Formats: sequence, structure tokens, C-alpha cells
Amino acid sequence: MTLDRDAFMRYSRHLLMADVGEQGQETLLESRVLVVGLGGLGCPVALYLTAAGVGHLTLCDPDNVDLTNLQRQILYTEADCGEPKVDCALVALRALNPSVTFNTHCAVVGDSVLPEGGADFDVVIDCTDNLAARHWLNRRCHELGIPLVSAAALGWEGQLMTFDFARGSRPCLACAIPEDAGEPLANCGNSGVIGPVLGVMGSLQAIATLRLLLKGTNGADNEPYRPLLQRFDGRRETWTRFAIRPVSQCPVCGDEQPETHGNDIHQDKNTERKQL
Amino acid sequence: MIKVLFFGRLGDIAGAEERKVSVPEQVRTVDDLRQLLGEDGEALAKALNEPQVMVAVNQDLVEWDHVFEDEDEVAFLPPVTGG
Ligand SMILES: [Zn+2]
Repeated sequence: MTLDRDAFMRYSRHLLMADVGEQGQETLLESRVLVVGLGGLGCPVALYLTAAGVGHLTLCDPDNVDLTNLQRQILYTEADCGEPKVDCALVALRALNPSVTFNTHCAVVGDSVLPEGGADFDVVIDCTDNLAARHWLNRRCHELGIPLVSAAALGWEGQLMTFDFARGSRPCLACAIPEDAGEPLANCGNSGVIGPVLGVMGSLQAIATLRLLLKGTNGADNEPYRPLLQRFDGRRETWTRFAIRPVSQCPVCGDEQPETHGNDIHQDKNTERKQL
Repeated sequence: MIKVLFFGRLGDIAGAEERKVSVPEQVRTVDDLRQLLGEDGEALAKALNEPQVMVAVNQDLVEWDHVFEDEDEVAFLPPVTGG
């Protein structure tokens, strides 16, 4: 693929960067990314990836736009209320960058979006609002060896975890949050959330995705992404990072499970600490 | 003495983000510590015992049977799952 004149202008701020450049932009244009959930996280994620020229985006969300969404879900307008989010998002994103190809699923994420036998995605982004969907994505991405970028928010707090399953199979989301924990009592619907906290977390998901996609191009490092839990506290504007350790009895990536993808991401404890 | 950190909503419930705690000898694991802290009040006990709460020692996520040491920093993180 070569960039045409318009693409040169549109992506000029990428092309100016030594570690993106023409080769990196071509990589992005050939990339396939699945965005699961088009709420407060999925909106900024989809906007930034579309703007960046991530060439093939698949969007998945079962819901219609509701008036209560507009406080934070920045893809939608008042006129969209009652319409499927995927349809409204598609109109807005196509207007932003018509060279991106989109697939949409107005459904809860499942086998039809991410089949057991294999799926053609370079990165999956978890922008869902419940643990059941998050754990389903974790299992499937782990199985398929697809990197998973998972974020969440509530109130003034945000959280981000990136699992680079293409380069290392452990740890996984279930090492940090047990699969059988059920849903917490507090959610955005009953406890509220600050819109820009979702914007911060969604922007970070988009950054993590671009980094994952660009790994190995232009001599960029191809090391596995470090498995960290990052917490953002919007009331103090502070970040805290925690190392996620592989749990030996983890039902998804634990010792009884066959090792299928690459090596252990787990690093020496002392090395990890220094990098935190 | 250990340093206990309550993140986000847990800090609101505990009335402090940070607390220095001297722990009796029989309190060894982070789960023991959670039960000890929960003696302060029903609301904190309930919030700390939600099954999705995470716990970290010196910025490493650990399991609930992890044995902490003197001078450790133990952080409790309330669940955040919205999107
Ligand atoms: Zn695991």
C-alpha cells in the first residue's frame, strides 16, 4: 500500500514522527481492531482510532442511544436518541474519515463477533460496562492470542489493563479479578461517572492500541506490553500503577491450562518494581 | 506498623485515604487485615468484602492469602467496571 496525496496531508502529523512515519501509517491502515462497547469509553476510542487511520474497525454494542448517555458519550447528538449506537457511531465516524472500513454488530459480544475458531483482529478493545462481558473477552482473546486492552470507570476513578496475548499468555484479567466474583453493587447507572474520566481512560486505550499495532514497525520494540493495572483518581489527578502477577490457579491462564501463545510475560519481580 | 491505603470510594467510607496500622501478631494475611479493618464499622466491612475488591502489597496485586510484612504498604482498590 502507498499513501496518496490526501493521505499524506491527513496523516502528516504521524508521518513527521520517526517512530510512526510512512511505514507505521501503512501498518495502521492495514490494521483490524474490534471495539466492544460504544459508551463512554468506546466513543473516544472509536473517534481517535478512526482519526488515526486504523483501517478496519469493527464496532459492537447492543444498545440504543439514550438521553442519559449524552453527558459523556461524545459520538452522539440529541437527534440520535432511540437509534442504535452502532448506526449513529457509523455516521459520525464515516464523516470523520471515509477511508476507514467499518463493520457493525448491534449485539452483545459473542461468537458471531469473535468466533472460537479464530478471528482476524490485531487488537480487541474492551469498552464494556460489566464483568461478564469483560471475562468473556478475556477468555476468548487469551484463547486466540489477540491483545486485549481493557478499561473501566466509575465516579471519579478509572482503571486500565493491557494484556498482550500475542506475545505472552500470562497473566490475564482473571488473575486480577476472579471470574466468579459476579457484578459489583456500584455501577455508572446507580452511582454515576464523570464524563472526562471516561475520556482519559478511552484515550489511554487508544494510545495502548496504537502502540500495540505499531510494535515491530520502524524498528520499534517488539517486547510484550508490561501487564500493569493502572488506576486514575480524577479527584486528585493522580495515577497509581500495580503489577499484575500470573495466578497459578487461574482458570484461564493457570498452570493446568495448556500454554499456547508465546512466553510468560511475568518478569523478575525486582526488574518490574524498578520500572513501576 | 504497616501503611494501609484506601482507594477511591473506600477512602470515603473509611474516612481517610491512608492509615498507619499496628497489627496484632495473629493478623498475618491481607484477608486477616481486611477483617481487622472491617471491625471499624459495618459499611467499611461490607465494602472491603465485596468479591471484586483488589488488594496490592507494595504495588503488586496479591491474592487474599498473601502474608504481609512489617512496613509493607497494603492498598485496597474498590471495583471499577463501568464503561
Ligand atoms: Zn489468568
